[in-house]
Amino acid sequence: MSAKRIARTVIAGGAALALLAGCSGGGDTDGKITLDVWTFGGMGLDEAFATYQEENPNIILKVTNAGGSDEQAQALTTALAGGKGPDVAAIEVGYMSQFKAQPQNFVDLRTLGSDDIESSFLDWRWSQGVAADGSVVGIPTDVGGLAMAYRTDLFEAAGLPSDRDEVSALWPTWDDFIEVGAEYRAATGKGMIDNVNSAIFNPAVRQGSEMYYGDGDDDLIYDSNPDVREAFGYALDAIDAGISSRTPSWSEAWNAGMNNGDFAVLAAPAWMMTYISQQAPDTSGKWDIAAVPENAGNWGGSQLAIPAKSDHPEEAFAFIEWLMSPERQLEIFQAHGNFPSTPELYETEDIQNFTSEFFNDAPVGPIYANSVASIEPIFEGPQQRIIDTAILNSLSQVENGEEPAADAWSTALKNVKTALGG
Amino acid sequence: MVLSAPPRSTPAPQSTKSAKSTALKPRRRIKSASRVDAFAPYMYIAPFFALFAVFGLFPTVFTFYVALFDWNPIGGQTFIGLDNFVTLYGDERFWNAMRNTFSIWILSTVPQLLLALFLAQLLNNARLKFANLFRMTMLVPYITSVVATTIVFASLFGRDYGLINSFLNFFGVESIDFAANTFASHIMVSTMVLWRWFGYNTLIYLAALQAIPKDIYEAAAIDGAGGFKQFFYVTIPSLRPVIIFTIIVSTIGGLQVFTEPLLLSAPGLTGGSGRQFQTLSLFMYEQGFGNFQFGYGSAIGVTLFALIVVFSVINYLLSRRITSDD
Repeated sequence: MSAKRIARTVIAGGAALALLAGCSGGGDTDGKITLDVWTFGGMGLDEAFATYQEENPNIILKVTNAGGSDEQAQALTTALAGGKGPDVAAIEVGYMSQFKAQPQNFVDLRTLGSDDIESSFLDWRWSQGVAADGSVVGIPTDVGGLAMAYRTDLFEAAGLPSDRDEVSALWPTWDDFIEVGAEYRAATGKGMIDNVNSAIFNPAVRQGSEMYYGDGDDDLIYDSNPDVREAFGYALDAIDAGISSRTPSWSEAWNAGMNNGDFAVLAAPAWMMTYISQQAPDTSGKWDIAAVPENAGNWGGSQLAIPAKSDHPEEAFAFIEWLMSPERQLEIFQAHGNFPSTPELYETEDIQNFTSEFFNDAPVGPIYANSVASIEPIFEGPQQRIIDTAILNSLSQVENGEEPAADAWSTALKNVKTALGG
Repeated sequence: MVLSAPPRSTPAPQSTKSAKSTALKPRRRIKSASRVDAFAPYMYIAPFFALFAVFGLFPTVFTFYVALFDWNPIGGQTFIGLDNFVTLYGDERFWNAMRNTFSIWILSTVPQLLLALFLAQLLNNARLKFANLFRMTMLVPYITSVVATTIVFASLFGRDYGLINSFLNFFGVESIDFAANTFASHIMVSTMVLWRWFGYNTLIYLAALQAIPKDIYEAAAIDGAGGFKQFFYVTIPSLRPVIIFTIIVSTIGGLQVFTEPLLLSAPGLTGGSGRQFQTLSLFMYEQGFGNFQFGYGSAIGVTLFALIVVFSVINYLLSRRITSDD
């Protein structure tokens, strides 16, 4: 092999590498505009994407589904760190505080007219996409209105009422809820709920007006906020009363438990109706939906953001505006159960008369609408997720019998301190 | 990248020195050709080193740099010197991850190498039929996706529906919550690591066993050594260098166990609610990619790097001493 041929080979190899490195930059062809959209599983947007594509032939939607919300957050982090990014990125609310703490990575949507659509969204839901400096980083997708899904057959077997209104009346407060769980334990010897994190602490801690932060990034109140302490106490009481079946959410045992009746009650945000019906198809008609104690709660939802590096922010915003319009959100809800974040729909026939066959024809529309109406905006700072993880882990440790309940709160505070110091 | 400058052009032969230049020309040609030949091997290995420099060396060196900063991947970077390391060595989560890593490493490596040695001995038996089939089967766990393996094992070890607990219950033993209990979770992770690597080590031992000359065994047999004595006085000493090699490789691998605890930890990154099976690699990942603290994550990476270097050096010194004993 001559030196020239070697050189050629090396140069060709180098060129191939350069191509690989450069291929992420999308080009526009024929005057058409390509919008790079990053989503994750369970958002229920596929049909809407197809419709938009049909109605807007000049725009090419390039949708990438990262898998789960964790993968999506990591992919977006990597892209932003490398100075790249899609045109539209979905960010799960759990990650929102981390991203909006660095608003310079995103287009301030106020510059594209977000003020005009703000009023159509739930105010507390909108605020989840607003950064501390007031810039609007993300437009809300659905809202995870919360209810308690429960098994009518298991409630009957335990001698409890099974009618949804009667069940809702059983637990106006968390103390009542725990008492019902204790009765269920006495009658069946089983835990009533899946786990205390999902069914008790998460909903309860979000029912106040403040969580871990007061009114600024540096105003940490996780250790002094009585609401946090109270929610933590409910969870400990529930563990003490034996109402938990100690089944971690999203585990194999959790999926199996929905089928097998290992637990009878499950905190079910609207989007989870689809999940339950897919995981436990044989239990159709055995489930029903009751209100959550204190009748307010949210779990999940996402924001749609436009990274600052996007080449087409205007088109991207027009797309988001269309996608999250009330009409579109209603269609998404009817097809996938993701509950709309635009309250003007709540009084319409479409929501008021919406029932779910799987859930024993429960009027899930009005139940979810009620649960999101009374929520107050909560300020979430950059370390929200880290604090949350440390506290929830402490509760799991008690639930699994690995740590005494008496020390749990001080352990939780200590763990949060360590996590924040790192 | 200009890796192949053409051979320097020979100055035009001057007519006055024609005799000299004709004598020179062929010699030069030979010289330039041999220069290419001398250069060629470097060219052949260049792609690896180019890729290694980009994807291996640069990230490693850059990690040392990032470790000196408070570095948010999507935000600001502040130089803080060695603060990350000071915090890290006072961080109980770090020492916890260290303990877990070593516990899982020992629990997986020791039984793994013993099992591999035992299996290699069996597979080396001359009377074994279908020996190649069995040998190849050993590698199946190694080539199976770690994700698939972990999912299957996680369900075997499940608290409520796991096969292992059903088995224990059958004998009247109470169910073990493998994921929640510290020691049990280490057993669970170690089993997965063992399952993935035992075949690889078995084959390495097998190759070494086959290289031992038969006459040594015959001589030992004539001297009256039975099967066990032959194993301990002939086989093991002959395998020493290979055993050292497998110990080094398993140490490096064992200190970096990541995928199994990550998948068992999902959807969180803490390796269980009490961080009971969070390894150093997972701790690094949690801090870097979960909490957006690249500087702190890099400090963990640098520490892990140093740890592996130290262990490799210890292993190297040990192996030198052992080989010089022979």
